[in-house]
This record gives sequence, structure tokens and C-alpha cells, in this order.
Amino acid sequence: MDVLTPADPAASRTGPRPPRPPGPDPRSERRRAAWVGAFLTPALALILLLLLVPFLVTAWRSLFDDNGVTARFVGLSNYVALFTDPDFGRSLLNTVLWVVGTLVLPVLLGLLLAVLTHSVRWGAVARTAVVIPYALSGSATALLWTFLLRTDGAVNQTLSAVGLGGWQQEWLLHWPMNTLVMIVATTWQATGASLILFLVGLQTIPSETIEAARLDGARGLQLFLRIILPQLRPMTVVVVGMSIVNSLKTFDIVWLLTQGGPGTASETLALTMYRQTFTLNRYGYGAAVSVVLTVVVIAASWLYLRRQVRQRTGEAV
Amino acid sequence: MTGRTARGVLVALISVLWLVPTWLVVVNAFTPAEQYTGSPRWWFTSPGLFSNIRAAFDSAEVGQGLLNTLIYAAVGGVVAVLIATLAAFAVTVMPVRRPGLWFWFIFVGTVLPLQTFLSPLFTGYATTGLYDTQYGMVLIYVALTIPFAFFVNRNFMITVPKEISESAQLDGVNWLSMFLRIHLPLARNALLAAFIFQFTWIWNDLLFGITLSLSPNVRPVTATLADLSGNYGTVGPPVVLAGALVASVPTVVLFFVFQRFFVNNLRLTA
Repeated sequence: MDVLTPADPAASRTGPRPPRPPGPDPRSERRRAAWVGAFLTPALALILLLLLVPFLVTAWRSLFDDNGVTARFVGLSNYVALFTDPDFGRSLLNTVLWVVGTLVLPVLLGLLLAVLTHSVRWGAVARTAVVIPYALSGSATALLWTFLLRTDGAVNQTLSAVGLGGWQQEWLLHWPMNTLVMIVATTWQATGASLILFLVGLQTIPSETIEAARLDGARGLQLFLRIILPQLRPMTVVVVGMSIVNSLKTFDIVWLLTQGGPGTASETLALTMYRQTFTLNRYGYGAAVSVVLTVVVIAASWLYLRRQVRQRTGEAV
Repeated sequence: MTGRTARGVLVALISVLWLVPTWLVVVNAFTPAEQYTGSPRWWFTSPGLFSNIRAAFDSAEVGQGLLNTLIYAAVGGVVAVLIATLAAFAVTVMPVRRPGLWFWFIFVGTVLPLQTFLSPLFTGYATTGLYDTQYGMVLIYVALTIPFAFFVNRNFMITVPKEISESAQLDGVNWLSMFLRIHLPLARNALLAAFIFQFTWIWNDLLFGITLSLSPNVRPVTATLADLSGNYGTVGPPVVLAGALVASVPTVVLFFVFQRFFVNNLRLTA
């Protein structure tokens, strides 16, 4: 839901704000400030101490050659090392695969299922089937997929049972297959979320709009492309934005299924950062990875949202 | 008509595809650990679920993990929503200068990648004695879930007519009682929705669980399960799946109890 924000600054500026009492009275001014402070401080203090300060510390640390015991200022050389490291290129490539893969699969499938099951009689059954994995915890999902994808796991077992033994693979042991099957695993879990959001979006389309389009002869695909898709736009912005931000930060499922391996083949930026920092104790280098990741996340959401906001000017969220 | 049939077949196909892994989780959680042959089963052979659950609880302290997670999710969720609501009230109802600035200050917490916080938090926790304590875990979960809870509540409070707070102000009601008597009750649904989202988020967190805690008395259940699956050889997949199944029950139940509520509520704010 991160993505509703573009309209926010404007909204909060024009938001309800009781008129100031006429004339600046220093005492009431102080009292006002005290009240505001009391309401805002807990949230601001926690965010500052536990999120913003750690982030700034990380950014600062990325300028040091830091093994956890001794630290030496090295300027930008961690970043130079990073960009010349072939493992980093692989990690970046995997992260891009994740972003594209989770946009194509969970988001599109969620949209497709929402539209398809919206008016099918037993659509509720299908929706439940897709939503259950979403309610399962990430670690349960990862355990299940380890179990499915191991070399002697359920997928290979099934393939040989139906006479497709030749299709058997060591699913998690080769790149890029391991990244692709993990994206499929995430699809299985995450489609429920986008399905729900798209269903909510569909319910906000006035039925008169659909009826009018039907009377004008719009059918099937045409109805979908010309009427439903544009009307779903606000929700699509939310789902796509969430998908981009979350996929850039992909960590749990990869950590649980392959730990980034074999070697570093299936690492995403989040995993590279984690391994450099906590396994190899290269704190400065790990910090540089997380700063790059932050920049990528912020740039991606900004680029995406900026375009959306421009196209949606005048439309209230 | 053929289009309708094709659509039905497609939907049925996708449902089956989605149900197969779910089915495997359930069936194999029922397989007795000692009878597990290395290849997954497709049908129930014996009611081994409870002995597997017991094994998971015995060998990896899944029970303690569940209790820890319940504390973090419930306490963390409630505290975060409360603090976030106070802040949301301040930036939407109270006469604050630069509400947009404060909005972004809090909201940026959801944009920053979580991994960025890990190493400094680890160091900070180690030096302040918060590392591997339940207080420390609750504290970080509260901080992490404030931004989104704030966002939900802020979006809700903007819809409260400002005439309400203006007339209350004219009656000389102070901010705290205005918050407690008017806005908090009005925001009940938004609060509940935010709480459910945050509860689920904390329940499923793995990253901070494995980074900031070590002992079984503190580790959340996701971390315990991750350890358990690392020990494949000793306990076997059925036990791991049984543990995972038990750990998923609360969120599944929560989700289905509030499913209708979610949809209606989102509809109001979307």
C-alpha cells in the first residue's frame, strides 16, 4: 500500500486543520507545541532511533574497511570493489529477475483470477484455493518448496510417475533455474494478495459502467481492455508498486530454500548484503551493498510513482 | 457459451494447481517421521500428525517459539497501532506546522530495505543489552510496524469531518480527550485492520528473528522452524511440515475470520 503516497503530501497539506486562533499568543503557542509534541514524539523517536539512525550508520559505515573489530576509512573503495565484483553483477541480475518475474506472475495472475472468478458461480472455491498459501507463513512456504524441489522431491517424483522422467532436474542447484523456480514458489504464495486487492478494485467499478459498455456491444477481451483495466488503475498502481518494492527486497524465501547458493548463484542484493555482513564480517562492504539496494529501491519507486502521479493528476486517492 | 466453458476450465485448472502443494503439506505432516522414506507421500497412511507435532515441539522448542511470536505479534501490534494512531491524529487533526514533513519522516520507514537496519541494530542491541531479549524484539517490531499503521490510520482520519474536531475545540475539550472520546472510537475499524496487518507481518518475520535473537526463550517461531529445517537429517521433513502447519494456523484463522471485514474496510479507504 506504500504506493498511495504520491498524493499524500498534497493531501496532508490540504487536510483538515482547525483555524489558528487569531493573534499569536506565545502561551497558547507553547501549549499547542507541547500537545503536538506529546502525540508525535513516541512515533518519531522510535522511527529515528531504530530505523533512521541505523540507516545512517550503515551509510557511514560503507566508507570504511570494517571487519567488526577494526575500521579504516577507505572512502568509496567499497563501492568500487562492489561494482567490479562479478558476484555483485549476478546478484543484481537475480534481483532484476525477481522484480520482472513477480510483476509478470503474481500480479498478472492475480488480475486474471480476479476478473475470471468475479462472475463464475464457484469462483469462491478457486479464490480460497489461491488465498490459503497467502495466509501460510513464509517459512512454511519455503519448507514446503524445499520438499517439492529437492532432487528426490515431489516434483521429480511426479515427473517420473507420469512418464516425463526426462524432465527431471536438480531444480535448486543450477542458475538461472533456481531463481526461476523460487519465483514460481513466491507466485504460489503471493498471488492471493494481489487477487484480493484486484477483487476489491473490481467491486469499486460501478455496475452501470459495465452495463453501458455491454449495451454498446463491448464483449470479453475488449470489455476488459477498454473498460475494466482503466477503471482498475488506482488499484493496479498499488499492487504494482508493492510488488516492485517487495521484490527488490526479496530475502526470506531465497534464504530458506538455497541460502543464496550453490555458491552465490541465487543471491539477491538483500542476501549478498546479509552474507557479507554476518557471514564474512565484511561490515563496510555489506553496508555498501545495502546502500546500493536502498538507492535502487528508492529510485525504482520514485520513477514508477512519478509517472503514475503525473498521469493521475487531479485524481484523489 | 464456449467462452464460458473455457473460462470455467481455466479457473478449475488453476485452483487444482494451487491446491496440490497445500495438499502435500497436509498429507506429509501426517506421515509418521520414522516411516518417511525420503520421497513425499500423496495420501494419508496413518494419523501421525500429533506425534509429529509433539516431535517438533520436543526437538526444536516450537512451542516456546510460538509463545514468543504470539507475544511479539500481539503486544508489538497493539503498541505500534496505538503510537501510530497518536501520530496520525497529530498530523491530520492538530494544527501542526509542516504535516507533510512529519508524514515522510515516519513513512520513509517502509521504503528503506529492512536489511539496511540489521547490522547497526545488531551492534546497538549488543552494546545496550537488548540483544536476545524479548523487550528488544518487541521494540524493533513496534518501530518497524509504525509506518504502515500510521499510513492506514492517517488515511482514515483524513475522512473524519473537521467540523467534529472544530466544535469539540470550541467546547474547550482538550486534545487528549478529543482523541480518546471522538477519534479513537471512530477509527475502530481502521485500527483493527492495521492491527491485523501488523500482527500478520510480525508473525511471519524471519529476518529480525534470526538476527536479533539467539536463545530459544527469545527466538520467534519462524527462526525456530528455520533451524529445524536446517536439521533435516535429525528430525525429517514430516516433523518440519507439522511444525510449520501449526505455526501457520493462527494467521490462517485470523485471515479467514476477518476476510470479509478486510474487503469491506479496504473498500472504504481505497
